[in-house]
Amino acid sequence: MTLRTMLKHRIGAALRRLWFFLAIFGPGLITASADNDAPGIATYSMAGSTYGYRFLWLLLAVTLGEAIVQEMAARMGAVTGKGTADLIRERFGVRVTAFAMFCLLLANLGTTMAQFAGIAAAAELFGLSRYVAVPLAALVVGFVVLRGSYVYVEKVLLVLCLSALSYVVSAFALNPPWGEILRQAVTPSFQSDSQYILAVLATIGTTITPWGIVYMQASVADKGVELKDYRYTRLDVTAGAVWGNVVSAFILICTAATLYAHGMAVETAAQAAQALEPLAGAGARYLFSTGLLGASLLAASVLPLSTTYAICEAFGWERGLDQRPREAPVFYGLYAAIIGLGVLVVLIPGIPLFPIMWLSQSMNAILLPVLLVLVLKLANDRRVMGEWANRHVQNVLVIALTVLIGAITVALFVLPLATAR
Amino acid sequence: MLYLSQVQGQKVWDAWSRPVGRCADILVGNLEQPFPTVVALALKDHGAPARHKNGVVQEGIARHQNGVVQEGIARHQNGVVRGGVARHQNGVVRGGVARFIPAGQISELFPSIVLTVSKEDVQSYTPGGDELPLGERVMDRQIVDTEGRRVVRVNDLQIARVEDRFCLTGVDVGGRGLLRRLGVERPAAALVRLLHRRLPENVIPWEDVAPLQHEDPLRLRISRDKISQLPPADIAAILNDLDRRTGQALLSRLDDEMLADALEESPPGIQVAALSQLAPERAADILEEMGPDEAADLLADLPDETSARLLDLMEDEDAEDVQSLLGYPEDSAGGIMTTEFAWAPAGLHAAEALDYLRKSSDAQDDEAMPYVYILDAERHLRGMVSLRDLVMAPPDRPLEEEADDSPITVAPHTSQEDVAYLVAKYDLLAVPVVDAETNEMLGIVTVDDAIDTMLPTAWKKRLPRLY
Repeated sequence: MTLRTMLKHRIGAALRRLWFFLAIFGPGLITASADNDAPGIATYSMAGSTYGYRFLWLLLAVTLGEAIVQEMAARMGAVTGKGTADLIRERFGVRVTAFAMFCLLLANLGTTMAQFAGIAAAAELFGLSRYVAVPLAALVVGFVVLRGSYVYVEKVLLVLCLSALSYVVSAFALNPPWGEILRQAVTPSFQSDSQYILAVLATIGTTITPWGIVYMQASVADKGVELKDYRYTRLDVTAGAVWGNVVSAFILICTAATLYAHGMAVETAAQAAQALEPLAGAGARYLFSTGLLGASLLAASVLPLSTTYAICEAFGWERGLDQRPREAPVFYGLYAAIIGLGVLVVLIPGIPLFPIMWLSQSMNAILLPVLLVLVLKLANDRRVMGEWANRHVQNVLVIALTVLIGAITVALFVLPLATAR
Repeated sequence: MLYLSQVQGQKVWDAWSRPVGRCADILVGNLEQPFPTVVALALKDHGAPARHKNGVVQEGIARHQNGVVQEGIARHQNGVVRGGVARHQNGVVRGGVARFIPAGQISELFPSIVLTVSKEDVQSYTPGGDELPLGERVMDRQIVDTEGRRVVRVNDLQIARVEDRFCLTGVDVGGRGLLRRLGVERPAAALVRLLHRRLPENVIPWEDVAPLQHEDPLRLRISRDKISQLPPADIAAILNDLDRRTGQALLSRLDDEMLADALEESPPGIQVAALSQLAPERAADILEEMGPDEAADLLADLPDETSARLLDLMEDEDAEDVQSLLGYPEDSAGGIMTTEFAWAPAGLHAAEALDYLRKSSDAQDDEAMPYVYILDAERHLRGMVSLRDLVMAPPDRPLEEEADDSPITVAPHTSQEDVAYLVAKYDLLAVPVVDAETNEMLGIVTVDDAIDTMLPTAWKKRLPRLY
């Protein structure tokens, strides 16, 4: 064997190992990046600028919740090789499925709107009218996905999403009061006004999302993770959740240190962009909008498609891009409707973009328990999961999370009545 | 027409109109028949309402997944019902009512379930292990519609009375079944009638479906027999639509040749997953059955050690063909060519050439054989003659006179796009690949492989299977 062929073999082997690594590590990374999509950035900016560091403890708790929930979804995908909607339908029948899919559709419709709102906001920061940018983005997204070049574009968008890292750099440049930050991160605090409760729900809802669960399970099932290799997937999922939330925490810290410190509660994207000014100066708005655009486009490509797919899967309608539109009218119709509705709402003249972005996430959180309860039941069903059924600790944590979200939701509706008296 | 959803959960009355319990499920037997007969009715367990179906199967699955017993698959099937029997026998006497009521004692199923005997005379039915519990195993699951050649979901099951028996007649896969399950079939039908339309029925006869549950080998065999009648491309599409485990279970039950054909039509993800499920010896057999070009593509997607081991296990001749292809980039002529093509030595008459081809193993392997190539002793390409011209030529005509002596050729490193361009431009069914340095003919690229990149389906094959 000559030196050249030996080298070639070595490099080949190394590349293949990298490939194996990337093949297993993936779903976690993508969902983690999706944590910091347009509604994510909006929510954390709003929380940081309005409440300072007080949301850090919540973020810490939510990270744990996300890791547990996403791991459960990934495990279900690995064990059954089926999608969430598929399992729900087989286990619970038509009525429950219809209700669950309605909730999923509602939540994802809201989040899709938020993504297009993110695109609109980013475009306006670049000085481009949303009436041009948003329809254009919708066309691009539709074209890319339907033409099937999504896999390539995904990589470009993931790179754009890296601009969220500028928050990390920016935070260190700001040199915020780290002691205070640490203290706040471990001291739970709570307020009982509706605004605060909505913000809490948004923070939960943008981190642990219904579509995140569905997408995670689908991509693990699709990848066909062997159960003996499952621990890598678990690592990927957990690392993804932690990593996504570390970046989220830095967004919160940046906005708290700059905007909250000056008493400015963010209401527009332009204000949110100011959090990056210490790092990028006048370029802050461009840096901010690049990140916003990348994340929004990425989520806008994945979200409507995975929603449509899940719903068609649940009801047995023809689905998949292999089908031609005439063969799968519901699939393509629903897909177009989700994107169309998302675009139309954003184009309503004078509609405030920033609140759409984060309030949609409060709705996500309110709808989340429906899916959580079903997923929890499935993950405990030994008939479905065999020896991979949930452990006690996981159950306790997920139940606690579900009850907590439920309680906060109730508080949202009851507290205003109580205080009005 | 009567549907399972109208029976499940309904009260069961005895001959004296006294309640006996609620119907949990319907068991059918004689599955080889086009329309299996209802053999028993399962009652809901009062102790644990609605839990009945979980309880029964639980043990079976746990055992199977731990893989304790090797015949576990066969036993598992029985185990399911055996567990049921055990519980059934324990629970026989609960208010004198059996858990399973034999079909012979059922008088009516709709509008209400009425027995022919009084409560006290109800016999208990002992499942033999080859019944299919419809609600548990078929309802809401995905099945293969072998007429429509696609995977559909069961929205409801149609049961009909045939003389004195009830038979499973069809599977409702349409919106009407969904509406019925939601309990809004009538209002919806009324609404549609206002618009002077009718709700479309979409019921597939039971004989045209193949239920597929990977945990259910018995049924899988029957289904396999139905599915294996389909063209490979349809089998591939069905495999693509099924969830992984079910798809793999089906794969492992197809024979080598069929599996090879279906795999050739499948996206790489499925191929790799399917092959890694099989024993290495069988995987090697299947690779031999596949065209060398497809086999090489598949091997390239496998980890190094695996593909090396599979190559070792393959017959030398096939392994060499594949190995030579592995060296070329996937989107070059070398990457998409096949080394199996019909050729004849120079200097023969047409009749001799046809004789030669009948005996030639290379010609035997050539799947389509649009052309016959004329090679000399060094395997240099001397000419190309279409099979049509060869067959139609007078028997004593020298082959060379019939042949095109300077056919269009490509080099192994020619890009797939260029090959497609040439194929389209010259209306070729295949184009020979000739080594640029030695002039040796290496293989052919057939038109379907050449234009694969140009068609939208090829782009889509690269998408994650999920979409």
